[in-house]
Amino acid sequence: MKRRDFLKISALGLLSTGILKINPDLALSLSFRKKEEFEPPLSHIPIEGIIRPPGALPEREFRAKCISCGVCVNVCHTMKYDALAVVGLRDLKNFGTPYVKDMRDFPCGLCMECPKHCPTGALQPLPKERVAMGQALIDFSLCFGWNGDVCLSCSKACPLGAFVFDFYNSEWGNQPYINEKCVGCGLCVKYCPLGGSAVKVIKKETYKRIREEYDAQFQRLLNLSMEERYLVVYNENLPKIMARGRILEREYR
Amino acid sequence: MREKKFFVLPRYSLLRRLTLLIVLTLFILQLFRVKVLVGGLSGSLLISWIKLLDPFAYLESLLASKNFNLQTLWAVLPVLLIYFIFGRSFCGWICPMDLLFGLLDRLKVPYRFSIAQRISSSLGFLVFFSFLGLSFFFSLPLFTNYFSHLTNFFRAITGIYFFLFDLPVDLSLLVYSLSLILFLLIMELILPRFWCRILCPVGKFYGLLNKVSLLHLRYKEGECFHCRLCDRQCYMGVNVSQNVGKGKLRSQDCIYCGNCVEACETKGKIVKFKIGV
Repeated sequence: MKRRDFLKISALGLLSTGILKINPDLALSLSFRKKEEFEPPLSHIPIEGIIRPPGALPEREFRAKCISCGVCVNVCHTMKYDALAVVGLRDLKNFGTPYVKDMRDFPCGLCMECPKHCPTGALQPLPKERVAMGQALIDFSLCFGWNGDVCLSCSKACPLGAFVFDFYNSEWGNQPYINEKCVGCGLCVKYCPLGGSAVKVIKKETYKRIREEYDAQFQRLLNLSMEERYLVVYNENLPKIMARGRILEREYR
Repeated sequence: MREKKFFVLPRYSLLRRLTLLIVLTLFILQLFRVKVLVGGLSGSLLISWIKLLDPFAYLESLLASKNFNLQTLWAVLPVLLIYFIFGRSFCGWICPMDLLFGLLDRLKVPYRFSIAQRISSSLGFLVFFSFLGLSFFFSLPLFTNYFSHLTNFFRAITGIYFFLFDLPVDLSLLVYSLSLILFLLIMELILPRFWCRILCPVGKFYGLLNKVSLLHLRYKEGECFHCRLCDRQCYMGVNVSQNVGKGKLRSQDCIYCGNCVEACETKGKIVKFKIGV
């Protein structure tokens, strides 16, 4: 081997190890080891669609206006939230348009910079309270607050606070409930201490459809007697929570 | 007596590469959270205050959404103003594909067919209007969202950075953008400047502005030797030497790269750039 070839190969090796250092996910996928994953909360309720950035027009108009220039994605990056990604080939109709990809790690911070800077008017500037990205729902069978603990992490993380959260405190914990004023930024999803989060964000349209069913479950839990509630918490919910705790905790950045 | 020049501009080829590199650097700086120029070349934000929007993207978005709003018009006007002054210089001075194509042109490839330079560039308006029509029909900005070299170039840069630093990015999009750019580069190897001269509708729009722009090519009469060096150097296929008698040239294909000015035997005395009516 010539010296030049040796230098080339060693430089390539150094570069690749550097890349794997920066991106541990890539290293994981290359080593064929399976990544620990949690089942999403409320798995029977689908998201139905993609979560748009704040201030987005209705879907049809948004798709017509957005030219995929990347201003919102990059503004989000400069604001250090990194919430937005661009839709790939999986959804050809929405190809190239921005969406909030991973709320568990990168929720929207509601800084409202992207609608202010959108050059096409696909995102319209509006006050925080009137944003309608989605609706956060708490999985009562996984939430610490609903199963005998005092947690409050979601309400502390929420940028709108008591405007959105209702509390039903009892001897079973400080039970939080997110009402329909929620804007769906997903900060509560990230800051939920449960492995894989007990909060899920769905589209507002889906919420309108499933709301009665969800509220019925909520009312049923409130009206349970002490003995019945004890059985629900200790026999059904706590084993599920403990099982999630046993899976390696996802690292929060 | 001849006028004395106080300072001489560097060569046009050097100057325009420098402009391109400065613009690209400003765009890449956004990844390191420096907000000078945010976005991409189809739509961007200058010093977090002035919105800029590519006019063809504006047309597509307007036709797709079928409603007019003032907010968007304010984003196009600065761009239109810039290119009302400088004509189609976007293609030669700012477009990143021009740099990549220019680098590829130096390679010696056995099979190159300069078809694009022989057929009329007005054929490109077929592509231009069909994309506008399709955008209207599908209610989607079709070219800018899916096939644009500008959008995909900046998507690819952002995608690579986001992928390396483990930020949310769709891998299929990154692969698509990179393969589209690669496809354009391969097309450039076989059919030089077919994309720029015929297909690209973004350049076609700026070409229309060439007819009224302040910047244009001027000739000085009487000294031309008809060596046709300027024609040979022009990769956009403009007939530079045949228009010498007319005094000035307003071709929609001219991208003001300055190759003809540099190639001219009289060292830029006959063919030169001129800003003015």
